[in-house]
Amino acid sequence: MTIIIEVIGVEPPCKRCAAVEKNVKQAVEKLKNEGMDDVTVKKLDIASKDVVSKYGILLSPALAINGKVRVAGRIPTVDEIIKLVRSEVQK
Amino acid sequence: MSNKIKVLKTAALITFIIAVFAGLIYSRIKAYSLAPTMKPSDFHGLPIWYIPIAYLMDYFSHGWICLLFAFVTAGLIYELIPKEAITKYMGGGKAIGYGVALVMAPFLTVCSCTMVPLFAGIIYSGAGIGPAITFLLMAPSSNILAILLTGDMLYWELAEARILASIIVSLTAGLIISKTPWGKAIEKEYSVNNASQQEKTIEIVKSPLDERLLSALKFGGYLAKQILPFFIFGLIAVSYVEAYLPEDIVGEYLTGVKGVLIASVLGGPLYTPTLVEIVIGRGLWSLGMSKGALLAWLMGQPYDVANALAVSRIAKWKVVLTYMLIAWIGSVTLGLIYGIISGSL
Repeated sequence: MTIIIEVIGVEPPCKRCAAVEKNVKQAVEKLKNEGMDDVTVKKLDIASKDVVSKYGILLSPALAINGKVRVAGRIPTVDEIIKLVRSEVQK
Repeated sequence: MSNKIKVLKTAALITFIIAVFAGLIYSRIKAYSLAPTMKPSDFHGLPIWYIPIAYLMDYFSHGWICLLFAFVTAGLIYELIPKEAITKYMGGGKAIGYGVALVMAPFLTVCSCTMVPLFAGIIYSGAGIGPAITFLLMAPSSNILAILLTGDMLYWELAEARILASIIVSLTAGLIISKTPWGKAIEKEYSVNNASQQEKTIEIVKSPLDERLLSALKFGGYLAKQILPFFIFGLIAVSYVEAYLPEDIVGEYLTGVKGVLIASVLGGPLYTPTLVEIVIGRGLWSLGMSKGALLAWLMGQPYDVANALAVSRIAKWKVVLTYMLIAWIGSVTLGLIYGIISGSL
């Protein structure tokens, strides 16, 4: 199953957005080691027209998995991101 | 087993938070001063290198509990307010937009991470440029941290005046700009349809209490790391101002109508969302600046250059200049009114 993780933050990235990106990268790394390698990470600009028309107003940093915003306004931990991806796969 | 650890962790976090709150209440009951207690005359005869050290020691020996409380509270409130509700309502139309901007901005503690995206989001989502400007001006001047520290370092009546003045100025600026041709042009250019009807794409997960508390404290720590260096720098600057700036100069230039005008211009460039304006305002106030001028000094939002730059990328410079002008007029007018009411112009 293809998983697309979108990290939604400000451009240029603020510290908290960068922290989310780092955690996402680590989570993806761990998932790959478990054999789940169809994971794409995208970075989106929260203040862009596209993002607002797709997701509405968000608090940064936000994280969307397969087109659904799951975290907004805080930094999710690596474990939490892995858990979120797994629950998406199980669907 | 892991459940036990979780309970313990939650208990430890709650205990810490209660201890911080209790510490502040205790200091209140005992009526400690949470602001620096040194007077300008105390600095006479101190060697030049020792002045800031004496001032910082004086402040931190009793002010630390106030700072700790302010940062813990800011973190907690940011974490615990229902953020999804805010973002949902902000895109909900003009009147609601203004209301939410005024009521909610103070709880979203200043951080460029939060401000600019929300500003853009409000415009794009169709609530319009008015609420966006209101939010933008309201948040830095009346957020929890700024108000707590204004109350503690200066006095609480001023903190209330600051909130009231911010509401008036930011609402006026929002309403006026939404009526200008260049404001309307931006609304037209940026509005996207159906932005607020996207509930299906949002499914925020709730994390357990211990994680939320921990991330609240972490956010408080993050704010402290961002702000404290500037705050300490401000304290050092103030110690020299208090030690060397003669009182008659302050009495001459920072009182009366002239004082309000000068304070509104001088306070501007110093204004950053780093609380430095509070510290320096305190120094000048203790040297004899009038209360009216002090309020004008604290109302420096129009000059917030970092915000203005970010905003100018989305809105045009004309909008930025318009709100700067409105906010400046507001700070002078309200400074004068407050000076007259409080009997200290």
